[in-house]
Amino acid sequence: MKKVKIIKISAVWCGACLITDKAWKKLKENYDFESVELDYDMDEEEVAKLSAKTVLPDFIFFVDDQEVDRLVGEVSYEELESKLLEVRK
Amino acid sequence: MVYLDYSATTPVNEEVIETYAKVCREFIGNPNSLHTLGVKAKQLIDASTKQIAKILGVKETEIIYTSGASEANNTAVKGVCLQYASRGKHIITTELEHSSIIAPLSYLSHNGYEIDFVKLDENGLVDLEDLDRLIRKDTILVTIAAVNSEVGVRQDLKKIAEVVHKHPRVLFHSDVTQSIGKDKVDFSDLDLASLSCQKFYGMKGIGALIKKEKLMIEPLIHGGKSTTIFRSGTPATPLIASFAKALRLVYEDYDEKREKVQKLHDDLIESLKELDVTINSNNLCLPHIVNLSLHGIKSEVMLHALEEHEIYISTQTACSTGNYSKAVYAITHDKEKASNSIRISLSYLTTKEEIDFFLTTFKQCIEKLNFRRVS
Repeated sequence: MKKVKIIKISAVWCGACLITDKAWKKLKENYDFESVELDYDMDEEEVAKLSAKTVLPDFIFFVDDQEVDRLVGEVSYEELESKLLEVRK
Repeated sequence: MVYLDYSATTPVNEEVIETYAKVCREFIGNPNSLHTLGVKAKQLIDASTKQIAKILGVKETEIIYTSGASEANNTAVKGVCLQYASRGKHIITTELEHSSIIAPLSYLSHNGYEIDFVKLDENGLVDLEDLDRLIRKDTILVTIAAVNSEVGVRQDLKKIAEVVHKHPRVLFHSDVTQSIGKDKVDFSDLDLASLSCQKFYGMKGIGALIKKEKLMIEPLIHGGKSTTIFRSGTPATPLIASFAKALRLVYEDYDEKREKVQKLHDDLIESLKELDVTINSNNLCLPHIVNLSLHGIKSEVMLHALEEHEIYISTQTACSTGNYSKAVYAITHDKEKASNSIRISLSYLTTKEEIDFFLTTFKQCIEKLNFRRVS
C-alpha cells in the first residue's frame, strides 16, 4: 500500500467546502493518510504553487510526493474514499 | 450607461443623500451624550426607528442597527449559536445562502457545531419534508434566505416557519436583504432577519438585524449599550435617519413599481427565449432577477464584452469568487451551466429603452464571441 498525502484547499465563504466538510472529516477518521488543509485566501503562496482551481474545494492527491490526481468541487464521501483507495493501490 | 446590476447594489436616492448630509451638518451630538445636542440626536434616532418599525411591521425594540447585512447575518448566526450552545450545536441551512451566512457557519463547523443542508426541489425551493426530517433534538437554528441573490429563487417563508416552529426550541433566521423594497416581508414568521440599506437605494454602511423582542443573543461587538445592548458602538445618526428615508421612499408607489419591473422582466424573458441561452430563473423567482447560462461563452468574457458598451451586469454574487455560480449549480447540478451564468438585475428605475439596448448589444456579443470561438 502506497503512502498517500491529500491537500485540501477550501475557503470559509465556499458553500461546497462546508457541504464537503463532513465527508472529509469522516475520511480522516476512517483512513490513515497525511492530510494538509490550506485556506484559499489565507495561504495564497502555497495555493498558487499548487495551481489550485478556482472551483473549490480542491482535493489534491499525492503519492510519494508526486501529484497523481485531483477532485474538485462538491464531492461525496464515496467519491473521496474511492479516489483514495484507487491511488494508494 | 445601462446599469443592470441592482441586486449587487443600488444607486443612492438623491433625497436619501440630502437627508444624510443634513443630519451630518445639523445633528452633531453623540446620541448617548446627556447635553441638548446629544438629546436632539437621540430624538432623531428614536423617530427614525419608529418609522422603520412601522413600515416593516415590527417593534422598535426589535431593531438592531448594523453595518449591513453581512454583520447582521454574522450576529444572527454566531449570536444564536453562542447563546444556545447548551441546548445543542446543530444548524440547518441551504446551498443558496450568501457567503456571509456560509462563512460564519464554516467558523462554527470548525468549533464543534454540525451543519446540515436541506434538499432543494428542481425549482430551488426548500424541500419541507426533508427540513422536518433534518430537525433534531439538538437543532438550534434554521437559516434560509428569503430570496437567493444569484437566481432570484423566492422561498415560502411562511411554510418554512410552520415546519420550524413545530419545534419550539428551534429558531428561524432569514436573510431578507434581496426582498426589502421588492417584496413584502411578514416578519411575524421570523425569529431573526437581516437586511441592508444599500439594496434599496440607501447608503452603504447601514443595515439591521430584526430580532424578536424576548430572544437573547450573544453580541458580536461588545462595548456597552448603544441603541440596543446587542450591538455596541456610537449610533450612526445620519445613517439611521437615511435608512428610514430610503425605506419610506422605496415602498412609496410599491404596486406601480412592482408592476413596472414585472412587465420589463416578462418582455426581457420573451426576447431572451429567442437567443441561444438557457434561462435559469423561473416564474417562482423574484422578477427583479434574471439568471441565464450562455452556451460555450464564459460568463466573464460576456461581462467584459457588455462592459465595452457601458452595460453592467453580474456573473455571480459580488461577494464571492470562483468561476461558477453556487446557486445555479445547486438548482441545475450542471457545472457547465453554473460556469457560464450571468445575472441581469432590474429596478423600477430601469427603462424599456435600456432593456432594448441591452438585448440588441447582447445578441451582437453572442454572435461575435461565438464567431471568435469557432473560427
